[in-house]
Amino acid sequence: MSLSRARALALIAATPALARCGFDRSHVRVGSKNFTESFLIAEIYAQALENAGMRVERLFNLGSTQIAMAAMARGNIDCYPEYTGTALIDVLHLPPIADSKTAYDVVARLFAQRYGIVWLHPSPMNDSQGLATTREIATAQHLATLSDVAAAALRLRLATIQEFLARPDGLPGLQTRYGGFRFREVRTYDIALKYQALLENKADVASAFTTDGAIESDRLVILRDDRHFWSAYNVAPLVRKAALQERPAIARVLNAVSPAITDQAARSMNAAVENSAADPADVAAAFLKALGGRTNQS
Amino acid sequence: MVRYPGSDRNAVNGVSFELLGGELVVLLGPSGCGKSTLLRTVNRLVPLDAGRVVVDGRDVTELDPVELRRSIGYVIQAVGLFAHMSVAQNIAVVPSLQGWKGSDVAQRVDELLTLVGLDPAAYRNRRPSQLSGGEAQRVGVARAIAARPRALLMDEPFGAVDVLARTALQRELVRIVRDLETTTLFVTHDVDEAFRLADRIVVMRAGRVEQVAPPLELFDQPATAYVRDTVHAGDDVYRRYFVHARELLRSGNE
Amino acid sequence: MNYLTAHPARVAALAAAHLELVGVALAVALLVAVPLGLWAARRRNVAPWLLGVLGAIYTIPSLALLAVLVEWFGLGYTPIFVALVVYAQFMLARNVVAGINGVDRAQVDAARGLGMSPSQILLRVEFPQALPVLIGGVRIAAIAMISIATLGGYVGGVGLGVLIFNGLTLHQPQMIVAGSLAACALAIAVDATLRLAERRTAPR
Repeated sequence: MSLSRARALALIAATPALARCGFDRSHVRVGSKNFTESFLIAEIYAQALENAGMRVERLFNLGSTQIAMAAMARGNIDCYPEYTGTALIDVLHLPPIADSKTAYDVVARLFAQRYGIVWLHPSPMNDSQGLATTREIATAQHLATLSDVAAAALRLRLATIQEFLARPDGLPGLQTRYGGFRFREVRTYDIALKYQALLENKADVASAFTTDGAIESDRLVILRDDRHFWSAYNVAPLVRKAALQERPAIARVLNAVSPAITDQAARSMNAAVENSAADPADVAAAFLKALGGRTNQS
Repeated sequence: MVRYPGSDRNAVNGVSFELLGGELVVLLGPSGCGKSTLLRTVNRLVPLDAGRVVVDGRDVTELDPVELRRSIGYVIQAVGLFAHMSVAQNIAVVPSLQGWKGSDVAQRVDELLTLVGLDPAAYRNRRPSQLSGGEAQRVGVARAIAARPRALLMDEPFGAVDVLARTALQRELVRIVRDLETTTLFVTHDVDEAFRLADRIVVMRAGRVEQVAPPLELFDQPATAYVRDTVHAGDDVYRRYFVHARELLRSGNE
Repeated sequence: MNYLTAHPARVAALAAAHLELVGVALAVALLVAVPLGLWAARRRNVAPWLLGVLGAIYTIPSLALLAVLVEWFGLGYTPIFVALVVYAQFMLARNVVAGINGVDRAQVDAARGLGMSPSQILLRVEFPQALPVLIGGVRIAAIAMISIATLGGYVGGVGLGVLIFNGLTLHQPQMIVAGSLAACALAIAVDATLRLAERRTAPR
């Protein structure tokens, strides 16, 4: 085989690679951040789009909000699930807004203005921060709200993750807003072992995300944020304006799915993945199947 | 016909002689005297810094080097048979390059194997690694003359072959050159070999020519002290030995 | 193991994507490395210098190089593809040089003297005899690339790395095991296949 013929053949072989390297725009690229819930919701979006006949490329497991936003800016991804609270605090550097609707309106307006990114319809699911305790302890110590915990903290042991102790809307912020919150003991754990400490009576209170799968269990309760310290964290699909112009159907498909993701749904999906080691793809598929069943009935 | 007024770098200086058609001329000299370099100027493996090499009336620098080399046979001491090809494929190299028909090539290969004393049926499909030193060089010679070149360059071709096989090869060569009338330029440091093979000998030392003459003339009329010492001129025993060896080679009775 | 048996199709699909990524990157890498290696093989003083540079690049930790490439190319298929092509250069070029220079000089001299043009010498004499060494280089490069390609899972690429990194994030060790085992199996299969090819092309 002559040298030039070999080169030509190799170029032909390389075409799929070249095509993949971004020259091919026929896929919708869906991203996710690097935690379970983000995976699940992104997988729901991805499968919904596939069910509607689009070809989807998954770029999951992106390291952080910054990375995800950078990827959106470069067009590496077209869409990913983001939280109103995260957008407010980490991207726009604005103070938290506890009311879901207000938070959404603010971020939707500013993202469209500044980044050319559209916020589609939000989900009712609110993955905010919280403090969790067991039913026994709640009853025994008369804990129903965060103010109760703030006062009683001197008697209580806190199980948490490192980040909670550092972030401004973590423990430091609570101490400022509520006063008190000086715990008898503070211990940091791996994020997966935090609730175990609570359940095994090694701690009385644990920092939480309100849609954590572990909370689905009957034994745990979330304490009410009576002073509305924490921001709303509703999730919604973010889509690049250009991608939406290219494929307006994206909005229709994802808006149909978004409203169905409730706190309850989120918790049980998270639980399935975290506790039962289910594959997020399977869990998302089951969710969509049930949803499809429901909409067909209605 | 090859003509050389040659002056190449400092390896070879002030050389000038002519070969006649069908002659077997030997370049004789010690290692490093420039004989191999001189040989390789003929097929342009070595460029000339001054002077000309003329083959069949044409200056070799006017010819395409690749075409030139295909018209001149080339045999080296290490043989250089292509290890990944069979004996037949090795011999067929130049004819294939020239676009001969497959059947013509196959016929020529068998012809040549017979010519160099190897049974075609037995050797055609052997691999170079399966050949002895003598067999390999026979194939090397066959390969060199496959496309019927009018000239043949040989650079100490039998140096790596054991003595008995060497004598057989020398005899074959003389016969082939005589039958095919191939003008041959043969390089060696072995005086004995030179005497047996050559129609004329070019005695070389340190890049210069000491004398160009038929073997016996070197013996009877050495031009320089060096030539005299090299051929043991004046020593009658040597003279008789050389003459005898030469005759034997040509009679086929050794 | 459970994940492998529970989701064979998914693992197979990821393995296929992994193989395709490595295969295409290898092809492109050869397109670069072979001419580069040939060029260096002909020049005795250039070869050590070139191989030294490529070797130095090879020692850059893959994640670091990948991070730089993500800066330039963004996330997805491209940075991991480029990383693979770059890393493969050292092993491929080195074996091209070794293979070509390992061919008996007498054969090359004979070929020249008989009247082969430089490209004919390359294609008919040098290349066929350098082939086993070259395939050996391809084999080593392919195995290294199968391993490095798993980093693709970290930057939104394709292949078994996705399974491994997802498994890390989701705290599902089974996914990690499944991805790793599949990558291992891939490497062994590729190694065995290329060893066979190496042996087949060796001179008898």
